[in-house]
Amino acid sequence: MKKWVPIASGLLAGFVAATISFADFSTSTNNQVASSSTKSDAEKVYVPFGEKDDYYLFASGGHSGQMFIYGVPSMRHIRTVPVFSQDSATGYGFDEHSKKMMGGYTWGDLHHPAFSETKGDYDGKYMFATDVGNSRAAAMDLETFTVKDIINVPNTSGPHCAAFVTENTEYMFLPTRFAVPIGSEYKPLDEYSQQYRGVMSAVTFDQNQEKLNIAYQVALPPWSYDLSDAGKKSSADWAVMTTYNTEEATTNLEINASQADRDFIVLFNWKELEKMIAEGQYDEVTGQKMIFPEKHKGGIYLVPVAKSPHGVDVTPDGKHFIASGKLAPSMTVFSFEKAFEAVKNQDFSGERNGIPILKYESVMEREVNPENALGPLHTQFDDKGMAYTTMFISSEIVKWDPKTGETLDRVPVQYSPGHSVAAEGDTVSPDGKWLIALNKIAKDSYLSVGPSHPESMQLIDISGKMKVIQSSPVNPEPHYAQIIKADKIKTIEVYPKDENNKLATYKQEDAKIVRNGNEVHVYGIAMRSKFIFDAKAKRPDVIEVNQGDKVFIHLTNTDFDEDITHGFAINSYNLNMEVQPGQTNTLEFTADKAGTFPLYCTNFCSALHQEMTGYFLVKPKN
Amino acid sequence: MKGKKLSLLSSILIALAAVLVGLSLMFPWWQMIFFAPQYPEGLNIIVYPNKLEGQIDIVNGLNHYIGMENFSEENFPELAYLSHLVIGLAVITLLTAILRKKSVLYGLIGLFIIGGSLGVWDLSRALRKFGTNLSPTAPIKIDPFVPPLLGHNTVANFVTESILGYGSYFLIAAFILLLIPLWKDRTR
Repeated sequence: MKKWVPIASGLLAGFVAATISFADFSTSTNNQVASSSTKSDAEKVYVPFGEKDDYYLFASGGHSGQMFIYGVPSMRHIRTVPVFSQDSATGYGFDEHSKKMMGGYTWGDLHHPAFSETKGDYDGKYMFATDVGNSRAAAMDLETFTVKDIINVPNTSGPHCAAFVTENTEYMFLPTRFAVPIGSEYKPLDEYSQQYRGVMSAVTFDQNQEKLNIAYQVALPPWSYDLSDAGKKSSADWAVMTTYNTEEATTNLEINASQADRDFIVLFNWKELEKMIAEGQYDEVTGQKMIFPEKHKGGIYLVPVAKSPHGVDVTPDGKHFIASGKLAPSMTVFSFEKAFEAVKNQDFSGERNGIPILKYESVMEREVNPENALGPLHTQFDDKGMAYTTMFISSEIVKWDPKTGETLDRVPVQYSPGHSVAAEGDTVSPDGKWLIALNKIAKDSYLSVGPSHPESMQLIDISGKMKVIQSSPVNPEPHYAQIIKADKIKTIEVYPKDENNKLATYKQEDAKIVRNGNEVHVYGIAMRSKFIFDAKAKRPDVIEVNQGDKVFIHLTNTDFDEDITHGFAINSYNLNMEVQPGQTNTLEFTADKAGTFPLYCTNFCSALHQEMTGYFLVKPKN
Repeated sequence: MKGKKLSLLSSILIALAAVLVGLSLMFPWWQMIFFAPQYPEGLNIIVYPNKLEGQIDIVNGLNHYIGMENFSEENFPELAYLSHLVIGLAVITLLTAILRKKSVLYGLIGLFIIGGSLGVWDLSRALRKFGTNLSPTAPIKIDPFVPPLLGHNTVANFVTESILGYGSYFLIAAFILLLIPLWKDRTR
């Protein structure tokens, strides 16, 4: 009986099985990985569509005031992030938050970038950078690649000798390139040695509030502080920085600051300075806690070094620091252990400006002088602890062993490298693999664009014998860069809804324009493909104000969708900003011009982007 | 045969069916995935017996270009009571397992067939409603369309893929479990 039952069950079971197998959308990935030794140079740098680079390169943008983000090994430019300069493409310096952060400045000179660190390794959370042009420091959030805070550093002029962070990002130290009187007051240059100071700031970063803060300052002698590095592991409480112009010359530095045979490396113990501050050993000047080394003794020492050094770099094991001679044709390897010993035994040869000087011979481990290598500037490291030093004058990279001083390899670069950057090359665990020469002169490397040339970045494969395998033009001007493993950075694609943000408008029916005296607040929405400023108005995409009104446009992008960014510009009002997916951004201005001004979305968003417009009407006063 | 009790094994199978019906509440029943050149990863509308999930707002945002009404939980009153019906069905299935009466089982199978058909009809009705009721003022005018319950469909730059969710598979499996006792206990 019921012969249909098994047939029906069988059919159904078959149907289920078929549906399950056809409904299976799992994608099969077919990874063909050629071993690196068999790859040609072109294959090593080719990253096909669908795959991504292994590393991010964060290159300082120098006097463009920006940070350039590249992929390594493809050397493709991915993004330019504005830091110290205005950028109309992103509305940076136009919207309320960034305008306030920039503090009235329109440009900066971004020198040395530094990642936040945990246990001496990049943690991928923040990027710090300094502005030599207008004496500022910035913190960039790596979830969004946007700058969260900028701090103005008083008593200092041009924090070139920065940024470097301590092993767990406790401090970022900003020593100055130019000495100025405290408070940058007017003082004659004849009183340079007495009245001028090379102030260093200890800056902290509160990751919860995303705020930079000056913990204290140190009134170092009026010298120029060039480059620096924090200790690692056994030297984690210490930091080193190079000086030049210890001659205290006040004019024609090219000659006058190059006279003394030796300048100094400043060696300091930041834990001890921190303790001195806690114990009240400081003077309060211009609202800052200032340590005057001649008065508040301890924690700071001078190490003589071959004249006018540039870079000073701590080896990955934290045991040595290497100074690059710049004007002397050699690198000097110093030992932290020997320095600590000398400090303990008070083995000093004298003092300068109240700071004890250690004996060169008791701290120096070896001088390294590769044949005909000239102008050593800066050193990076690979996974085996080998050093790579840029030679500005002889235009090459020299690989050498810090433990023996032996030269291992050298490769010419085009032309005149300043810094170089290796993959995680200044951490406790460098990756090896890649080194990028940041060349100051591109000259004939690329198609000519007239007398002003780009800079050049050359990718060097350091897995075997060093070889330049790619060359990439870059805008002015990478002074230093950082390379981080791509998987350490965890970005967000869309800003999450923030119900506590009173300026945000997420529901279309909530869009409104509120007038309060002569202040007009617009709580608006940008979405594909329209603006809604006042949901109840006859024309929801029109803002009408009176001449002289102070206008606040709080715009929320309610497209919570990857890469759907909207822009907002008002014709002839010299205003533009961007609202990223899910973001609320504010534009504040005075409607001083009467008339009719179209407004529109500046960031191409959709098929009907061209229609994403409205009007800004300003009624004349009389 | 009539009035004879179902075997213990059959009773267990029916009880298992009850569990599967209950479990189906926790999984999606039906899903539509929207692929476009700009959305190779796909946008989802995932239908649970009591809620909608997926990138509903993004799908709605895109659908407004062709004048389609918004998908929202308010537009599907079924979501408010469907889970109660399912719980009821699970309880009845469990009762059938306890009573072990073939007549009750026939009734239950009937209930499954009626419920399933109603579900399919309701979903088709919704798809027809959304696909054919397009706003006349939409910026992009397209012919009305009815997306299939299962399988591919192409609308403008989008290819949609409609599939069953785990919840539906559980229901189908439960139905099969109910049919097995009919065969197994055919001589009783």
